[in-house]
Amino acid sequence: MSDQQERLAESLSALMDGETSEIELHRILREVGIDQDHQTDSNATHLASTQSARGIWQRYNMVSASMAGEPVSKIDYSAAISAAIDQEGAHRVSLFSNLMSSTGRFAIAASVALVAVLGVQQLNAPDPASADVIKFAEMDIDSTERSTGPAIQFPSGFQPSIQARTVSAGGNNKTSQHLVPVMQVRKSEQRQFSETELRKYMDDIMLKHSNNAALNSNQGMLPFARVTKSEAGSDQE
Amino acid sequence: MAAVFAHGPLIAEQMDSAYDLMARMAKASKELSYKGLFTYEYRGQLRSIKVVHLVRDGKTYERIVHMDGPEREIVRRGDNLGCLRAADRLLRGSALKFNNSYANLQDHYEFYIRGNGRIAGRLVALVEVLPKDKLRYGYIVAIDKETGLMLQSVLLSQTGKPLERFQYVDITFGADLDNFQLSSEMAESEDIDVNQSACLETNQAIDAVPSIWEAQWLPPGFVLSSYQAPDETGQESWMYTDGLAVFSVFVDSNEGTDNFPPLDAKLGTTVAVLTKAQYKNQLYAVCVVGEIPRSTAGQVANAIRPSASMEVE
Repeated sequence: MSDQQERLAESLSALMDGETSEIELHRILREVGIDQDHQTDSNATHLASTQSARGIWQRYNMVSASMAGEPVSKIDYSAAISAAIDQEGAHRVSLFSNLMSSTGRFAIAASVALVAVLGVQQLNAPDPASADVIKFAEMDIDSTERSTGPAIQFPSGFQPSIQARTVSAGGNNKTSQHLVPVMQVRKSEQRQFSETELRKYMDDIMLKHSNNAALNSNQGMLPFARVTKSEAGSDQE
Repeated sequence: MAAVFAHGPLIAEQMDSAYDLMARMAKASKELSYKGLFTYEYRGQLRSIKVVHLVRDGKTYERIVHMDGPEREIVRRGDNLGCLRAADRLLRGSALKFNNSYANLQDHYEFYIRGNGRIAGRLVALVEVLPKDKLRYGYIVAIDKETGLMLQSVLLSQTGKPLERFQYVDITFGADLDNFQLSSEMAESEDIDVNQSACLETNQAIDAVPSIWEAQWLPPGFVLSSYQAPDETGQESWMYTDGLAVFSVFVDSNEGTDNFPPLDAKLGTTVAVLTKAQYKNQLYAVCVVGEIPRSTAGQVANAIRPSASMEVE
């Protein structure tokens, strides 16, 4: 027995015990295939050589069967079965089932992603302690960008098509006269803070900014128009 | 090929004149006497504001009154006509020296004339101002052909969407304002201190000020235009401009601000990004406020750190 055959015998023994890896199984099948080709070529079908993979496989199976007290047959059905499979017409693979199987895979992937998203959201959910923060954080900070059709139009002459449209009253506050800053907390912390104070602070620095901006930009009076005076104290909430 | 070469100077010429209009606008808004009524529109909100701007004996006087909503009157008196601040100089074409490099408006915006129009009953030239990067917004401004005053300004988002509109509905220049009395119309009026921002004698911007804080990154083209040392509450602030856009940086540390969480705020086109910074075991609230994209404000806020020289001490 050559080294190669010895290894093959070991692999087949492992296969009998169901202990082969997939790569090893592929190697065995290749070996068996070559063996078979060789046999057909030489027309030496009477007996699988005791040294060939096929022969070893048969022998091991016979030993195993006799030890288990099962009837032992020396007939090799493999060629006949193989021929019978060859004769059978190929099953038609329908486009639908193809599609179904890939959609199935996609659906699984999607559900995994959904689980991941849900999981992350749950992790990031703010604790109930900061519930008062959530109230004003719900407003979308970037909604300006996505808002459908701004009330503002380009200056006449700049764009040929000017649509006349009604200006919707009321922005994102109740009184519609005084806008309050929309705030979104990026990361909630354990520290307690007063929302009133936060609003006061925001109003204050925005006002300071706009007052100073009028001097430091070339926009004339425009900055004074952007921010109206703080009503933090007189908010009817 | 020849056509390409022929086009070159033409475009340059157009750029120049659009830019000249802007420079003229900067001068006009200061040196003219006028009174009028303008509107400010943001997302369906409309505000009307009455304005008076007077020039007397080389000083400017301004009063603006909000015509709707809560009463508000703002007065600004006695600003020297000759006082040119960073933004004035930048818009008038100067390259300002700041932090060892030169800031120049034309390095960061492109200017195009987009035809004519009529606003507040006057003929205007429309100028489109496009930013060359994603760090600032663009504008469409309408400039009065006769006087050079800006009669309309539309702020454009990075995707070219109008965000806000400022527009005069009525304006009167000169003559009959000579005897105009700039007295308060309302019981309460706010006086804005004109000295909070320094005049620049030369093309050298205010250089770094002694502070424990330092901006380790600024959007290119922005220079420091004013600085307020810590006041009684410990608030310290800086204002930066690129000639058109402005933003402020506030650093606070007191019991109230210590507890504020990091957050984003937005009021109209003004965004505010609040972050926390630490210096010598003390927490500080750093807030960047301005009419700039959120991402720019966020980048600046994260770049406000204790200055390297202070940390060594």
